[in-house]
Order: sequence, then structure tokens, then C-alpha cells
Amino acid sequence: MLEPFSMHQPRSAGEASAMLSHFGEDATVYAGGTELLVVMKERLAHFPHLIDIKRIPGLADITYDPERRELIIGSTARHRDLERSPLVRQWLPALAALEASVANVRVRAAGTIGGNLCFAEPHSDPATLLTALDARLTLTSASGTREIAMASFITGLMETNRRHDEILTSLAVPESGPRTGVAYERFKLHERPTAAVAALVTIESGTITDARIVAGSVGARPQRLPDAEAMLRGQSANESSAWLAADLIRMEVETTSDAFESEAYKRQLARTVGYRAIVAAIRQATGADGSRHAA
Amino acid sequence: MTATDTEVRARTAIGHDAPRVDAVAKVTGAGQFAGDLKLHGMAYGRLLRSPYAHARIVGIDTNRAAALPGVIAVMTGDDVPAADPYYGHALKDRPILAIDRVRFAGEPVVAVAAEDPAIADEAVTLIDIIYEEMPTAVTIAAALADDAPHLHDVVNVRAGLFHGLGEIHLEPGNVCYHHAFARGDMDAVFAAADVVIAGEYTFPAVYQYSLEPHTTIAQWTGADDLTVWSSCQHPFLVRAELADLYALPVGAVRVVVPYLGGGFGSKSYTKMEPITSALARVAGRPVRIANSIDEAMVTTRRHGMKAFMRTAATRDGRLLAREVRAWFDTGAYADNGPRVVATGADAAPGPYRWEAVRVDAWGVYTNTSPAGSYRAFGASHLQWCGELQVDEIGRRCGLDALQMRERNLLSRGESVRPGGKPLDADLIGDIRKVAASLNWESPKPAGIVGRGMSVGLLAAGAHPVSTAAVRMEADGGVVLLVSSTEVGQGARTVFGQIVAEELALPLDRVRVLGGDTRVTPYDRSTGASRSTTIAGLAVQRAAADVRAQILAIGARLFDLPETALEIRAASVWHEGESVPYRDVLKAHFGMVGGELIGHGEVRPEKGSGSYAEGPVFWEVCIGGAEVVVDPETGRVTVTKAVSVADVGKAINPRLVEAQEMGGAMQGIGNALHEEMLFDETGTLLNATLYEYHVPTIADMPHTFASNIVENEDGPGPYGAKGVGEGALAGVAAAIATALADAGVIIDELPATPERVWRALRMHDDRNDEDSTGSAANERATGGAASWG
Ligand SMILES: Cc1cc2nc3c(=O)[nH]c(=O)nc-3n(C[C@H](O)[C@H](O)[C@H](O)COP(=O)(O)OP(=O)(O)OC[C@H]3O[C@@H](n4cnc5c(N)ncnc54)[C@H](O)[C@@H]3O)c2cc1C
Repeated sequence: MLEPFSMHQPRSAGEASAMLSHFGEDATVYAGGTELLVVMKERLAHFPHLIDIKRIPGLADITYDPERRELIIGSTARHRDLERSPLVRQWLPALAALEASVANVRVRAAGTIGGNLCFAEPHSDPATLLTALDARLTLTSASGTREIAMASFITGLMETNRRHDEILTSLAVPESGPRTGVAYERFKLHERPTAAVAALVTIESGTITDARIVAGSVGARPQRLPDAEAMLRGQSANESSAWLAADLIRMEVETTSDAFESEAYKRQLARTVGYRAIVAAIRQATGADGSRHAA
Repeated sequence: MTATDTEVRARTAIGHDAPRVDAVAKVTGAGQFAGDLKLHGMAYGRLLRSPYAHARIVGIDTNRAAALPGVIAVMTGDDVPAADPYYGHALKDRPILAIDRVRFAGEPVVAVAAEDPAIADEAVTLIDIIYEEMPTAVTIAAALADDAPHLHDVVNVRAGLFHGLGEIHLEPGNVCYHHAFARGDMDAVFAAADVVIAGEYTFPAVYQYSLEPHTTIAQWTGADDLTVWSSCQHPFLVRAELADLYALPVGAVRVVVPYLGGGFGSKSYTKMEPITSALARVAGRPVRIANSIDEAMVTTRRHGMKAFMRTAATRDGRLLAREVRAWFDTGAYADNGPRVVATGADAAPGPYRWEAVRVDAWGVYTNTSPAGSYRAFGASHLQWCGELQVDEIGRRCGLDALQMRERNLLSRGESVRPGGKPLDADLIGDIRKVAASLNWESPKPAGIVGRGMSVGLLAAGAHPVSTAAVRMEADGGVVLLVSSTEVGQGARTVFGQIVAEELALPLDRVRVLGGDTRVTPYDRSTGASRSTTIAGLAVQRAAADVRAQILAIGARLFDLPETALEIRAASVWHEGESVPYRDVLKAHFGMVGGELIGHGEVRPEKGSGSYAEGPVFWEVCIGGAEVVVDPETGRVTVTKAVSVADVGKAINPRLVEAQEMGGAMQGIGNALHEEMLFDETGTLLNATLYEYHVPTIADMPHTFASNIVENEDGPGPYGAKGVGEGALAGVAAAIATALADAGVIIDELPATPERVWRALRMHDDRNDEDSTGSAANERATGGAASWG
């Protein structure tokens, strides 16, 4: 059962930040509450002051910036909004597909993308894909804003670079280039994924020219896999290259131990979903999956 | 009684899919569950539970909690106002609240009653308890080790009111029950056998996972009148135990059962009623205690098990002998452990013709949450092990699973166990139906695909005592009083159909009440697939009693012998002439009023009805499965599940199918997903749905075939016998045999993807990944101390 708390509803990110500074450790940001309220119900933490950022105008907007060719996603956009947004579907179909399978419809209808990233739960689906997509996050405080790469935002198990008085306001996701395929594959044994890999592959005349491979869920945070990436560059775009890279994924991925699956098995799963993601990305880049890549 | 009458008349109300009588109330929210009830002045109880699996309680300071405004009462083990502070229907080994010592993490130590739930929550955080940790025995192996701490002074534990399983003589240690039987010359048969298969098996503890956790409200009216509203399956057994605890006459205790949000055994026997009634007495107010899911998970669970089994056969696949030793982990208190052990042992040989059998089964105390009944208990524990061995023998002898069973299964009338009821089913006919549903002879699809079948028997019915009363009111409608609990299985619908059938009434003229021990007549329990068979027979007899009364009155009205009359469409008929029931009653009483009361009783027909002479009927636990295995991840997909409901007579076929499908789904959960994980300190690691996977719609088999067999050979009304448990054990075991057929030999359930992946790798040398134990394997290697 929840202990009593006061709720504050600022009208701007700056005001929210000022409230966080004012109350210090007694306050925290409240978005969809799908993680926060569970933590509070379980009495793992208590905050006498919740700063509800959902009323801040514009904070849930999703727009496309044609000049920078970037999708700008407001932090309080809910999973359900991303899943259904025509813009996300058009410019980042892999993200739209991923969002449609996060958690269950109740969580998607309340949980926000910002809450997901700031909580930095290691099994986050979007964190893995957004790392591969080179997304950048905008953090706002009373003293201004700063931008930080997704790849360096999450620093460890449920730890981020965000200062206490900062609000994550939006994220910018660059459109992937031409002849580039993006895919995300995961394997789920419990409520959240057990292993996940996002792959971004660029192909020129049958040869892989660039690859970004990120594993999630198996370790403390999303991890780039440089050995697998390096091995793919220069290889022919086919299934045997994907297997070679997948074998490297198994070797280089870092895993954390828990009571449920062994680390050896998690590495195996990373290899399997890694293979599937790379193959799917190759198919997409070559148009073999029937999709027309948005150029 | 005019039983033959029933048989000749065309049946109209039974044998078809009458809609559930409780459906509208449940889907509209009008139906009341225990959690919906609010009594005037009701206080809210909250329990402070032990964080330690085994510890001495050195001191408890409740002063700060008691001083919190809104707190009405704080009760410790010393304050429990019962004549006997220990309870347990099998063994009186459990204190209502911990006395001096806790034996599992989650054991209630202090109970608080407060004006509202938030105050009660807050109050328990203000209680200080000093514990002194003691050595623990969390696994069966640890509990059986020579230097294991003893959880109880077993030599002096008293038998409970419903022990019912013979004399107990226990040696000091952690064994709370031992059940053994042997026949034939084991050693000689094994020595001479051509084929011997032996294995060690591990079966997980699981939670019954009914949607509704336990909820109980207790109210004292004076010192000697107790009413309890509780989500319980066996109100009369709860009443007896409560009366015993407070040294009251049984009539002084009233147990009322609202709708239940599922039970599956988790609400069998006494659970939260002793604590709640004690707290209500101390508080001087009605008190409600509602478990949360994680509390319910440490209130009861299914027994985990370790077993050794070996089976001998001739080279042409004739089964000869089986030896079984099994250790059932009953947790810190016996709960229903002894009965689970006995039933499991009885089912261990399987329904085959043996020259020699020896079974030993032990109930073992460990420092984990107590284990009790779970749907299909007994059968589910060892059926999968035995069936794996039958198939393995078949593989060595060149016979497939169907041929092995056709060759070895018992026939109708053959003895299942000496002194007990002979086989009352056609198992070979049943297993052929499974084969047909699996397209047994057809080639398998590509990939790692396996098909399996399994068959077992479960001693069902429990002790056959039920009574029922039918009141026909002046308007010709009926109120049925019967205490079998509607746990979701459809009992009220089926009882209504039986009454409608016997009295030629439309179903909507029959009202079926919930159990209330002061109003509805005695029924032993709701479990062991007995409601339709035994309570249903009492209902049928009560209705037949009213019918006989109507006919007797009708005979006077028509001035004809009863044999010249019949009942139809709520009226008594002679040829073309009819008198509606309401006029029959009006003529009888000389007014619009009065009622006819029918009484129906079922009691043992031969012998004492004891367990040894039983069972009331053999429930057939039969299933089939086709599985596909993903070699990369080890994930198993159940493409087909098959059940055979050998029900004698399906009073409501759709409810039978729903029971089969529900049982099969739980079987899939048991075989592939569910497992309670305790760490080395005895703490449950997966007490939430985040980590404890209950099967969902996504785990449904791609196709599910349920075959209903109606041989009218059961002891219940119209030849019915119970269903509901068989598919769980049958389908779970069939998944294990299907996996073996696919080349995945599993000796530990659930067959999680990781275990399946590891089992596949044992055959795959190309794979060079380290094969040292996983977290999961290391945890599971707490094998019994010695198999010798
Ligand atoms: C049952 C269940 C299943 C789930 N399954 C999945 C899954 O399969 N895959 C997956 O990826 N996720 C899963 N999740 C996580 C889900 O995506 C997150 O719960 C959700 O997105 C969090 O968003 P929220 O708005 O509810 O965050 P909140 O609970 O409101 O906040 C979470 C944390 O982030 C902070 N915070 C929130 N927004 C901001 C902001 N804009 N700036 C600064 N700090 C902020 C809060 O202070 C808090 O500490 C699951 C969750 C549940 C409950």
C-alpha cells in the first residue's frame, strides 16, 4: 500500500527542475508511474513529493525534423503513442514494432519512453534499439539544457548520467541512412526480455559497409559489440556472415548473473537473437523482406 | 427411491451445455466474493511475517504498534486465545501464530487489527522482533542429512482430526509421514529381467495460483458463537477444526462460503481461518485478513519431490516390476502432506500389470513454506517419471508408446491395488483415442518434433460423505441446499441441472445456494473431483425424494396408483391430464404455502469408506501432446494437446471440456514453466508474476482435442464420475514423454528452455561452450541424501 505523498504539477520543465532542487531527495519525477509506484508500494523507496510532468505542454509531442532528418520524441510520449504514431511507423518502423511488444497493453498505455530510459532497468527494449540508432537525449534543468548520447546515458544497473534536478525532455533519433536495415530481436522467458539484440547494417553492392550491434537485457546496460561489428564490415551480406558475427556476440557480450538463467545460456540466447537481428537487418537493407526503405 | 424410473425417462436437463447459472452474476460484478463483504465495525488484519527460514524468537516489542492511533489489537503467539494453540488437520504441528520459533520465511509472527488497512500496514512496521537465527534445512537433501536440524519433535506430534491414514510411528528427524507397500518378489524379478531402466527425478514446488488469494472474515457473537466467511473449499472441515481449537460444539461455529476465485487445492482444509478468528476474538470486533498474492504463495503450495524409480521388463516389452522411492517436500508444516504422499505413492506404479511392486514415499519437513493439496496431487508427481520409463523400455524393445500401453495396461475389473476398488475404466480404449487425436501413425513434421502420451490413475472422491436438501416451495420452484463449493468448476450449474432433471423443471426454477454450515447440509469437501459424483448423487437423491412425495400426493389427487403417473413440465400427469406442482402443494397443504423437503445422503456403500478400501472411483489421468523444440533457445512449443475425459456421463459437456482445457493449461505450466525457487536461506525468489510464469493465452496449445468418453460406468448420478484433475497430470506427463520422443531426455521439471537446451547439448559434441553447471542446475542438485 502506498504511503501518503504530495503531488505537484509544474507547467514547464524548468519549473519541474526547480521543484526537484527545492525538495531535494524528498522529491522525484512522476511520469506514467508504472515503475515508480511499484517501487513505492513495495516500500523500497518513499518520496513525500512527486513531480508529475505529464501536464507539461508539448512534452509528449512526436515530430519529424526534415532538415536534420530526425524524429523528435517527447519524453512523456507513452509506449502506446509510439506504437501508433504514423511518424514513427514511417520513419522508424523498427521502433514502432518494438513498442507494440513492450510489456502489456496496460503498461504501454501508461508507461512513457522517458520513464523507461530514466529508470534504466537492464531489460529495457527501447534502450537497446535507441543505442544502436545513435539517439541523443535532451536533459533540461532550471539552469539550461544539455544533450547526451543514448550510448553514454545509462551508466550501469539502474544508473544514469541524469542529475537529480534534470528532466529528460526529449530524444532525437536520426533516420538511418540509405541501404541500411534496422532490426531488433528479443527472447522473453519472464515478464521482460531475457536477451535482446539490435542490429543496424548498411550494405553496398552485396557487401556490408557498416554495422552497429547492441545487446540488451543480458548485462547491466545496453552494450555495443565492437568485435561483431568489425567482423561484419567487409563481409558479404548473407547468413554465414551473420553466424560468424553471432558467434562473436556470444564471446564478447557481458552478462550478469541472476537466480533464473545461467550466464552461459544468456550468451547463447544473445547469439541466437543476434543472428536473427542481423539477418533481418540484411534482408531489410537489401529489400529482400519486401519492405521499401524510406530513402 | 425410484432410480430405475430415471433411467428409462428421456433426459432433458442433463447431457447438454446449459449456460452457467453464475455467469451473469460473475461477469457483472454482482457475485460476492469474500473480499467484497464488509461487516459493520469490521477491522482490518495484517500479519507480520518472519524474514528468516529458521530462527528463535528472542523478543517481540509491540508497544509502538499498539500505541498507533487506529490500532485495535496486536496479537503475538502468546496472546492467541485458543484452547489449543496448535492446528493441522493431518498433524497438529502448526501454531496459529509462531510460538518461540519460526520455521519458514513468511511464517506469521504478529497479527495486527486496525481501523483501516493503511493503519494496519503502518503498524506492522512499528513492531520490533529480535530473532536468533538457527541452522536451516531448505532442501530435501539438507533435511535428511545426518546433522540436519530437526524442525519438529515428530515423535510427540499429535494426529489431527482428519489424519485418517493409519497409525504413525516416527523416528526423530524430519520425516512426518511414511507410506510404503510391496507385493511380489522384487529382487528376483529384477534379477531375471531382460531390461531395467532406472532414473532419478526432480519435481518442482509450484503455487496453485488461483486468481483470488485467501480472504477470511471472522466474527464472534459472544464467547461461544463464531461465524467465519472464508474463501475455503471444505467449510465443514474448517468448522470442525475451529470448533476443536476453541473447544466449542461444532454447531457453535458457522462457516459461510461466498463465490471463490479459484482454489485448485490452495483453499482446501484450514488456511487463514485460525489466525483470523483468534485476532477477531482479541480485537472484540469482526476482523478481515486478506492475503496478498505473495503472502498466498507462502501460505500453501504444491510439494516438490525427489524420486528414484526403476522398472523391469522382458525383452518383448512386457512390464514386470517397478520400484519407487520418493521424498515429498512438505515444507515447515505437514498441512495435507501425508495425504499427498499416500496418494502419490499409490499412483506411482501406474495402471499396469505388475509381478512385483515396491513403493516407499516420505513426507519431509524443510524450512520452506508449507505444501498441501494441488489439483491432481499424487498423480502429477510420479506419472511423468513412470511413463518416461515405459517409453524408454519400448524404445529398447522396438515397441512404440501405443504398443507398450496396449500390451501392458490393466483391463476393466482388474485389481489396481490389493483391497481397493478394481479398475472401473477402459484405459486401452482411452489411450487409442489419444493416439487418434495425435494422428499417431502420420509422419511427423520437419524439425525437432516429438509426440507423447501418458496414462495414470488417481484415487478420487475422498471420503464419500455428502448430504443435500431440496426444498420445493409453494410455487413449485426449488431451492437446493448443498455445501459443495462453487470454485469455478461449475458445481452450481451441474447441481441445478440434476435437480431440473429429477423434477422435470426448467433450470431457472432451481436456485442453488452457496455453502453455509448452519444452513446447507454436511458435505465432506470440495476436491478430489468429487462434487458431481458424490455431492451430485446426494442432490439427485434429495430431488428424487421430493419427486416421490409429489407422486404420492398426486396419487391421492388422481386417485390412482403412483405407477400410473409421471412428471413432466413441472406437473404431474396421467395420460392427457395434468396438475401443476403448485396445485399439488396447494392441495396437500390446503393453502398457498408450505413446502416439500427432500433429503439426500451418500455414505460408504461397502466397508468404512476408508482410504485403503477406496477409492470411490479411479480418475483416469490421460493425455497426449505434440511438441516442437527450438534447438537454438530450447523453447518448447506445444502444438497439440489431447485429453480424454473418461467421465461416465457428461452432465454438462461444455463444463467438462472447460475443466479439461483448464487442467491441460495447468499441465503445460507445470511441465514447461512453473517452479518456486527458494534460495539457500529459504527465501522465495520468485513471488511475483514478473518471474513466476503462469501460462497465458500465448502458451495455449495450437490445437486442443478433448475427447469425452461416456460409458456410464461411474458411481455418480447417471453413471457420472469426476473430471478436472486427470488432464493436468496426463498432459504434463505427455509433454515429458513427447520431449523424450524428440530426443530431449528430461529428468527435472519444468522443462525450461535452458534445461531443454542443455539436454540437447548433451548429444551435441560440436558445441564447445562451457558445460559447467548453470545457476539453475547448481540450485537443483540438492538430491536426496542417498538413494540406497
Ligand atoms: C509489468 C511490466 C512489464 C514490463 N515489460 C517491459 C518490457 O517488456 N520491455 C520494456 O522495455 N519495459 C518493460 N516494462 C517497463 C516499462 O516500459 C516502464 O515501466 C515504463 O516505460 C516506465 O515509464 P513510466 O512513465 O511509467 O515511468 P515512471 O514509473 O513514472 O518513472 C520511472 C522512473 O523514471 C523517472 N522519470 C520518469 N520520467 C522522467 C523524465 N522525463 N525525466 C527524468 N526522470 C524521469 C522517475 O522518477 C522514476 O524514477 C515493464 C513494466 C511493467 C510494470
